[in-house]
Amino acid sequence: MEACMNVEREADKVLGKFHGVWNHAERTFDEMIENLASRQEELSKSPCDDQFNLFHNHLLLSSIKRVREITTRLSNEHKDIHSSVSKVGKSIDKNFVSELIDLNQDPTYGNEDRMKLLNTVVFEHFLRQGMLDIAENLSQEANLDVPESAKEPFVEINRILAALKERNLEPALQWALNHRDQLRAQNSSLEFKLHRLRFIELVRLGPEKQYEALFYARNFSQFAGAHEKELQVLMGSFLYIRQGLEVSPYARLLDPINWLDICDVFTQDACALLGLSIESPLTVGVSAGAIALPALQKIKQVMQQRQCHVMWTAKDELPIEVELEPSQRYHSIFACPILRQQASENNPPMRLACGHAISRDSLNKLINGSKIKCPYCPVESSPNDAKQLHL
Amino acid sequence: MADICTLEHATLKVPYENLNKNFRNCQKVIDREVAHVMQVTNDLEKCLDGKEPTVGVVVTLLDSVVDKLTVLKRKAAEAIALEEESAQACKKRLAHLKEHDTTTGSALSQWKKKRIDRMLVEYFLRAGYYETAVKLARHSQIEELTNIDLFLVSKEVEESLIRRETAPCLQWCHNNKTKLRRIKSTLEVNLRTQEFIELIRCEFRVEAVRHARKYFGSLDGEQIKKIMVLLAFPSNPNISEYKELFDDLRWQKLVGQFREENYKLFQFNTTPVLTLTLEAGLAAMKTPQCYTEHSKNADCPACSKNLNELAKSLPFAHCAQSRLVCSLSGHVMNEHNPPMMLPNGYVYGEKSLLNFAADNHGRIICPKTKKVYSMDELEKVFIM
Repeated sequence: MEACMNVEREADKVLGKFHGVWNHAERTFDEMIENLASRQEELSKSPCDDQFNLFHNHLLLSSIKRVREITTRLSNEHKDIHSSVSKVGKSIDKNFVSELIDLNQDPTYGNEDRMKLLNTVVFEHFLRQGMLDIAENLSQEANLDVPESAKEPFVEINRILAALKERNLEPALQWALNHRDQLRAQNSSLEFKLHRLRFIELVRLGPEKQYEALFYARNFSQFAGAHEKELQVLMGSFLYIRQGLEVSPYARLLDPINWLDICDVFTQDACALLGLSIESPLTVGVSAGAIALPALQKIKQVMQQRQCHVMWTAKDELPIEVELEPSQRYHSIFACPILRQQASENNPPMRLACGHAISRDSLNKLINGSKIKCPYCPVESSPNDAKQLHL
Repeated sequence: MADICTLEHATLKVPYENLNKNFRNCQKVIDREVAHVMQVTNDLEKCLDGKEPTVGVVVTLLDSVVDKLTVLKRKAAEAIALEEESAQACKKRLAHLKEHDTTTGSALSQWKKKRIDRMLVEYFLRAGYYETAVKLARHSQIEELTNIDLFLVSKEVEESLIRRETAPCLQWCHNNKTKLRRIKSTLEVNLRTQEFIELIRCEFRVEAVRHARKYFGSLDGEQIKKIMVLLAFPSNPNISEYKELFDDLRWQKLVGQFREENYKLFQFNTTPVLTLTLEAGLAAMKTPQCYTEHSKNADCPACSKNLNELAKSLPFAHCAQSRLVCSLSGHVMNEHNPPMMLPNGYVYGEKSLLNFAADNHGRIICPKTKKVYSMDELEKVFIM
C-alpha cells in the first residue's frame, strides 16, 4: 500500500503544479489580452496616418515588457515541473520491481510448443467462465486446433449452471439422469439434491400443490437407502403444508443457500466426472504465483547481494519454501524431521510402533542391534514393527 | 501487498512514460508559441523605436501581438489539459491497485479475477493476439488499466515491417529519438541498411550509393565494408556470406528488434508477467506426486494435463517441514484433524474418516485399496 501511496503523492504534486502554473498563467494572459485589445481599439479610433504620440509609445513599451515577462514566466514555470514529473517515474522504479526473475531456463514465451500448451490452458480457462466468443477468438489468432468436442462439456456445464442460477432445475436433472451411472459410481448425491429442491418448491407452494408434491415424492424411492434421514425430514415437512413451511421447524429447507449449494455441488460433480478441477487451473496457478514470485524475488536479491548464484541455477528445487494458502496445497509432503529431507519413493516415511514417523533412511541409521529407540519419545521398539506410510 | 510491488511495475510505468512524453510535448508547444510572441513583440518594439511610427502600423502590429498571445493561450491550455489527463490516468491505475488492500471477500476475488484478465491482455498483446486482447479488455472493462494503445501502435509498425515498409518504423524511431540514443539502439541504422539492400536488390545502385552516403555515418569500418561490397555483386550472389544479407529473414529480425527495443523503452520485462507468475506458482505447487499417475490430484494445477507438461522444466517446491493434506477431503491434517493410519499404511484425516464411517455403518473402505476396516483399527500417527 505504501508503494502506491508514495507514487500517488508524487503524482498529486505534479497535478497540483499543473493547476498552479496554469491557473496563474491563464488569469494573467486574459488580463493582458484584454488590456492590449482595449488599447488597440482606442488607438484605431484615431486616423491611420496620424503620428503615434510619445505618451502612448511609453505605455505600449511597458506592455510589451509585461507580455515578455508573462510568457517567459509560463515557459519557465512549466519547465520547472519537470523535476516533479520525473520524480513520479523514480518513485515507481523505487517502489515497484521492474525486473522479474524467470524460473524457467527455457522461457515459455517464445517457445512455440510451450506457448501452445499455455494457450490451450487459457482457452479452457475462458470456456470455464463461459466466455465462449473470446475463447473462439483466441483459438483463431493463436492457431489452436481444438476439436469441437473439447468445447461441448464446458458449454453444457455453463448452460446448466446459468439455468440453476435462475432456479431452473430441468437441464440439471436431465444431465444427472444421463450420467446417472457415472454419478453413482462417484458416490454423488447430485440427483437426490436436485429432486429434493424441486420437491421443496412444490411444498412451498402450499396445499394446492400437495398432490403433485406427494406424487413427486415417488422419485425419492431410489434414494431411500443412501439418504434415509434427509428423506424423513422432507416427508415430515408435509405436516406443515397448510400453515406454510416458513413458520415450521422445517424453515431451513427454504434457505436460499440451498440454491447456491446446488450450483457448487453440480460444478463439483460435473468437474469430477469430466476429470477436471473445480477451479480453473490458471486462476489457481496465478494466485499461487502472486504469492510465490515476490518471495522468490526477495531471495534472489539477497543472494545477489551475497554473490552466490549457484543455488539459483539448481533446477531440482526452489531455494526457499513458499508459504502458500492452505487451500493451495494439494499433496501431502513428508519431510523427515531427522534428515530434513523430503521423502521419496526410495526413502518413504515409516511409522514406528509408538506412532512417530521418520524416514526409512533415518530409521536404518537409528537401529541399535535389534531395537530402535524413537528419537521423540522413550519407547523402544523393533524395526520390524515400523510400517510404511502412504500419505 | 508484496504482489502489487512485484507485479505491477508496467501498470504504472507505461502511463508515467506517457505523462512524461506529454509533458515534453507541452513544453515544446509552449516554447514554440512563446518564441512567436517574442518575435511579434520585437517587431512592435522596433517599430516604436523607429522614427515617427504611424498609428496604422502600430495597430496592425499590436493586432498580431494579441493574436499570437491568444494562440499561445489556447495551445498551452490544450497541451496542459493533455498532460493533466495523462497524470489522471496514472492516478486511476494507482486507485485500482490501492483497492487490493482495502477490499476483502468476494470483492477481493473480483479484483484478483481482473488481475488475471489484465495479465492475459498483456500476454495476448505481446504474443500478437490483438483482437482477443481488445475483446477481453472490453469484456472485463479493464481498458483503462491495460496498455492496449501502446501495443496497437507497435502493431501498426510491425505490420508495416512485414509489408517491407520502413517509413512507420523510422517515424517511430524519430519520435523516441532521445530514449533510443540513451539505450544505444541500432534499430535505425539497421533499417537504413535494409533500405540499402533493397535498393541493390532492385538494381538502383546509384541511389544506393547516395543513400549510403546520407545514412551510414554512424557505422564502423567493418560494417560499412561488408555492406558496401554488395555494390560489386549481382543482386543475387551465391557467396554464403552475402547471401545472408538478401535473406527475407532480415525483415523478421527487424520486427524482433523493434519489439525488444519498444519493451526496453518502457522497461517491460522480456517475458510477460503472466507466464512468470504462473510458472512461479506452478513451481511452488509442484511436487513429485504430480508426476506419478496414482497420486495425482485433479484439483492441483500442476497435475492438470497441459500445465503438468508446462511445469516439467520448472524446479520443485522446497519443503523443510512436513505438511499433510487429507486426500479424501482436501483439508489440512493437523492437531484439529489428526492424521490416522489404516492398517494398510494409508493415512487420512480423522474428520473424513469419521464422516465416512457415519455414512457406512461404522465401516471404512480405503478409497485407494478398497479394503474394508473398522473404526477401532485406526492408529494415530505423529508427524513432527
